[in-house]
Amino acid sequence: MSAPATSPAGDLTTDPVDPRPFIEGTQTDQTINDTLLHHVFRGAGKGWWACFAVALAMLGCLVVALTVTLVKGIGAWGNNIPVGWAFDIINFVWWIGIGHAGTLISAILLLFQQKWRTSINRFAEAMTLFAVMCALLFPLIHTGRPWFAAYWLLPYPSVQGIWPQFKSPLVWDVFAVSTYFTISLLFWFLGLIPDLAALRDSATSKVKRTIYGMLAMGWRGSGRHWAEYKWAYLLLAGLSTPLVLSVHTIVSFDFATSVMPGWHTTIFPPYFVAGAIFSGFAMVMTWMIPARQFLGLKHVVTMRHLENMNKVMLATGMMVSYGYIMEHFIAWYSGNQYEFAQFFEVRQKGPLAPIYWLMIFCNVVTPQIFWFKRMRTSLAVMWVASILINVGMWCERFVIVVISLHRDFLPASWGSYAPTWVDICLFTGTIGLFSTLFLLFLKFVPAVAVTEVKELRHETEHDAHIEASLTAGVTGGSH
Amino acid sequence: MTVDVQKFQGGGGWMTKAGALGVVGLGASLAGIAMDTQKALFSYLVAFSYWAGIAFASLILLMIFHAFRAKWMVVIRRPLEVMAATVVLFVLLFIPIVMGMSHLYSWVSPAADMGAEALKLLAHKKPYLNVPFFVVRTGIYFLVAIFLSHRLFGWSTRQDESGDVQLTVRQRSLGAGGLPFIALVISFAAFDWLMSLNPLWFSTIFGVYYFAGSILSTIAILIILTNKARGKDLFGDHVSVEHVHNLGKLLFAFVCFWGYIAVSQLLLIWIANLPEEIPFYVVRFRGPWVPVGIFLIFGHFFIPFGALLSRNLKRTPKRLAVVAGWLLFVHFVDLYWLVMPTLSPDAPLFHWTLVTSFFGVGGLSVAFAIWRMRGHFTLPVKDPFLAVSLRYRQP
Repeated sequence: MSAPATSPAGDLTTDPVDPRPFIEGTQTDQTINDTLLHHVFRGAGKGWWACFAVALAMLGCLVVALTVTLVKGIGAWGNNIPVGWAFDIINFVWWIGIGHAGTLISAILLLFQQKWRTSINRFAEAMTLFAVMCALLFPLIHTGRPWFAAYWLLPYPSVQGIWPQFKSPLVWDVFAVSTYFTISLLFWFLGLIPDLAALRDSATSKVKRTIYGMLAMGWRGSGRHWAEYKWAYLLLAGLSTPLVLSVHTIVSFDFATSVMPGWHTTIFPPYFVAGAIFSGFAMVMTWMIPARQFLGLKHVVTMRHLENMNKVMLATGMMVSYGYIMEHFIAWYSGNQYEFAQFFEVRQKGPLAPIYWLMIFCNVVTPQIFWFKRMRTSLAVMWVASILINVGMWCERFVIVVISLHRDFLPASWGSYAPTWVDICLFTGTIGLFSTLFLLFLKFVPAVAVTEVKELRHETEHDAHIEASLTAGVTGGSH
Repeated sequence: MTVDVQKFQGGGGWMTKAGALGVVGLGASLAGIAMDTQKALFSYLVAFSYWAGIAFASLILLMIFHAFRAKWMVVIRRPLEVMAATVVLFVLLFIPIVMGMSHLYSWVSPAADMGAEALKLLAHKKPYLNVPFFVVRTGIYFLVAIFLSHRLFGWSTRQDESGDVQLTVRQRSLGAGGLPFIALVISFAAFDWLMSLNPLWFSTIFGVYYFAGSILSTIAILIILTNKARGKDLFGDHVSVEHVHNLGKLLFAFVCFWGYIAVSQLLLIWIANLPEEIPFYVVRFRGPWVPVGIFLIFGHFFIPFGALLSRNLKRTPKRLAVVAGWLLFVHFVDLYWLVMPTLSPDAPLFHWTLVTSFFGVGGLSVAFAIWRMRGHFTLPVKDPFLAVSLRYRQP
């Protein structure tokens, strides 16, 4: 028997393994307000205008491509039998996936009690909204006559008794994505309300005060307001969490419910969800690295935040790799010649094999660098890696959609696929739409949830206070 | 602050009882195998995969905690380490399965009446599904799991003496770095031990399904243990309702996860209705097997889901332990439902060795875990985050 064991000093405020704080420097509520609201009030700089011009030019591509699509019909795209689905669904899935990081950071990390989320959740939630908007464009225009899309997509009590095909996962997509968008919008806006009130209170002109005042919906920051706000926030977080899973699960059903080689596999739902989070975090990283530099956010979006995000990318990248391993193993194990041919012949050695190998490089090899702390803390490395991961995840959807379709069961029905300039412009255009909206967001709304950062600062201070009083008042004793 | 505990030397009575139950149960099961080989072996496989799955899942949960750098769970970590350390016992308990492989797995010596197409497929799978490689693979699974659990337990108990913070860093690194390997281990173990019972059937999600049920049972055991392990030198006295609440939330999350994985597999196979996949469910959706499936849908998902929605229940240790106990039972039914239809496709089959195997393998596991626990503190007393864990409050 040994003597009673004594635990270490029990310091709640400093982490003996990783003492880096989530808010750097000596901060007060005032300094946080000033630094995080500053970029909204200062005039747009040359850099912002330059980026905005590029984004608008790309948005112009979208306008042209949409016009051609609407005038000529979807015959302007490269889709043709056997590749009946191509850029439209690839881009849809890619954009929806990118949106997932926002919901994960704002909802799931909240439920997991991860304090580091406070500096990046606003940013990522905005990304969710804009990404879902880009995504929704594709199912809408792929109908050919989007002005009729509501009749075809939404079930309404038609006198003719015509209903959408409820057995089709494409209809489930409509329900899932529209619910997801609604909840994400509510969640994002609810989180913004206290910050909009702060903007209202510190606005320099009457116009700004009026606009921000209307958006703040009479927020006064009373105890009752905060109590209701906290409940609503937690409730929306709880509702959003299953939505993160359901949306991409149903997107995976678009493929997996069919019998197409390379599509029909039971691991698809969780593997799609992991892939979505993987690409979403990569996109957050791509934007966050320059944004924290130019908006002066380095004291609240610290290297520790970025490192944590890299770890999430490593974890979700490994889950995606697990999915690949299972798919390839079962393609062989099943003894199904079509599955085997798809995975080991067509994808690896076929005419579109470079895209498959690029996918493997970007999604499997690239995240492995994040095992090393030096790589996880290098801005240049993580920025390049995040772009590669985005490329890889787009390639993954290309591999699943196009490579599977262009070599199906019958050699007689095999074909090839090449996108037209309209396809490429549509894709580039959605990147322009996303960038335009995002730059406007960065200009007019606080990019970091100011209230939550202040709350985190108070919590940290409170813990330190308790710690100090315990250390001063308690010597020894038993628990 | 101090934690007034001594190294654990109790549990002798429980260890003896569990050990005796284990020896008697295992002896009876072996006798059963001698008398009615096939039925007893299938029953034994259910029990083995149940308890071995819990040992593997304990290791995975422990590694996930380390990878996440979770601090709240430090106070309940030691029982998890001990549960993971029982994995070595299953090397011995696997011997009956190796000895009886030809009775369990039709791919060992395929019968000529299986049909030409089936035989052709089995010939294709021969490089993977053959006895020597099966045994070697299982050996690798155990080697990986034993290495990881041994290192984590060793470093953790060494820290009890030295209080070295670097040991925490090492545990976290191994926890994160080992996860990809252990994920593959439990997946391929599920393919080998369970999925290959129907050698023509396959499902890429099957490994995750086995993992989901097993980790759910691990959390259930942790909840029951926390509730029971109160008294001299036991960790339960230091666990607050806040920790229990978190365990309840984890249980709830994994009830949902199991449901999600189960639906993914069922829906995709049912809707595609391919002749190479659907037989798995055709057998289970037919005749007297139907009530077992319906029981699982409600018992494994809807009932615990509804119960665990209650915050009050999650914060009441005794009531939460009842739900945990229920989930331990339905997970056993789940494994029974996975294994037995291969042997008895027309109707559920109950053989008395199902009970003896359950208590045999389980009794020995429990006795082994208590034996490993003795001589160590029941909580990591010098972990740098123990104080944070002890003072943990829900936000």
